[in-house]
Amino acid sequence: MSVEEEMKEIVAQIVHVDKSVLTREGSLRKDIKADSLDIVQAMVAVEDKFDIEIPDEEAQKFQNFGDFINYVERRVAEKEKV
Amino acid sequence: MPLKGKLTLVTGSGRGIGRAIALKLASQGSDIIVNFFRRREAAEKTAKDIEALGVKAEVIRANVGDPAKLNEMFDTIATKFGHLDILINNAASGVGRSVLDVDIKAWDWTMNINARAFLLCAQRAAKLMEGRGGKMVSITSLGSSFVLPSYAVVGISKAALEALTRYLAIELAPKGICVNAVAASAVETEALKFYIREGLMKDIRQATPAGRMVIPEDVANVVAFLCSEEAFMIRGQTVVVDGGTSVAPFITVEKEERR
Ligand SMILES: NC(=O)c1ccc[n+]([C@@H]2O[C@H](COP(=O)([O-])OP(=O)(O)OC[C@H]3O[C@@H](n4cnc5c(N)ncnc54)[C@H](OP(=O)(O)O)[C@@H]3O)[C@@H](O)[C@H]2O)c1
Repeated sequence: MSVEEEMKEIVAQIVHVDKSVLTREGSLRKDIKADSLDIVQAMVAVEDKFDIEIPDEEAQKFQNFGDFINYVERRVAEKEKV
Repeated sequence: MPLKGKLTLVTGSGRGIGRAIALKLASQGSDIIVNFFRRREAAEKTAKDIEALGVKAEVIRANVGDPAKLNEMFDTIATKFGHLDILINNAASGVGRSVLDVDIKAWDWTMNINARAFLLCAQRAAKLMEGRGGKMVSITSLGSSFVLPSYAVVGISKAALEALTRYLAIELAPKGICVNAVAASAVETEALKFYIREGLMKDIRQATPAGRMVIPEDVANVVAFLCSEEAFMIRGQTVVVDGGTSVAPFITVEKEERR
């Protein structure tokens, strides 16, 4: 499974939505009505899954789900290089 | 330097009250372990400021609500230092909701970080304090005994924390470990500014008998006292730091009268 697919599974499970509503353009907060607890739990679950750290300072820059996916993909790729 | 050579862990000390406590204890000579969860930059800045006071600082990331992560943090402390003198249980999180809107997810999240974490930290810390004694201080709030707006689950978690403080104080007394808590009323921090901005709380600066709001350093000063040898006979207590608000619920203080 790709990073994107895995992230969709994690988020769908935490926010209780169908994976199909999760798009790269959509905002977790505005479009699928995730609250702040959902978001922090999704961050933590993604961190645990890929063994990376997503500091709040970075997360605050995400405008939509796509930014979140791009960040994680980049971090995973960096890790694989090492 | 009353705490010279001591080692202190302050949970959630990258910012806010935890940061003020870390800096206060560092200024008294203690080396500090700065624990954080999401804001690494803030934690590293705190560590730098601690080192500028001439003591050592170590940054450890751990979500204290997750037992595996909490245990990893203590494993690191055990291997790197082999002991601990002071545990400050400060980290807290929560979901601002009314009681009827608290779901299991919000309950578990809040209780695990605010109450269960102290149980698990205290169990691990007590082992690291064996044969040398120590201090444990938790940070709690008036929401444990009073009803604050949208604060239900946090208030409940703080009540559990205070009860745990009493039980631990007695059980750990024979080991030379002093356990207490400090309860603050609204303290001027980022979290509070958020509550006021969102309209979840009134701006209470005017209503504090002492004439100003509690600031993080007020809490840190009392924590430092509870960590000193002078406080040896204080056990299992929750010391209130609120500028007098909780004992004067029916009095509105006018600005002129205060002076
Ligand atoms: N502010 C008030 O008015 C007030 C009043 C009474 C009592 N208190 C109590 O004082 C303490 C500190 O409050 P504050 O106002 O300074 O809070 P804050 O500004 O919101 O900071 C919370 C701190 O806790 C850390 N934290 C949160 N969840 C964590 C977790 N799961 N694992 C590890 N660390 C975690 C945060 O780390 P990151 O920076 O990494 O996110 C941050 O350092 C809390 O126990 C709070 O209940 C506050």
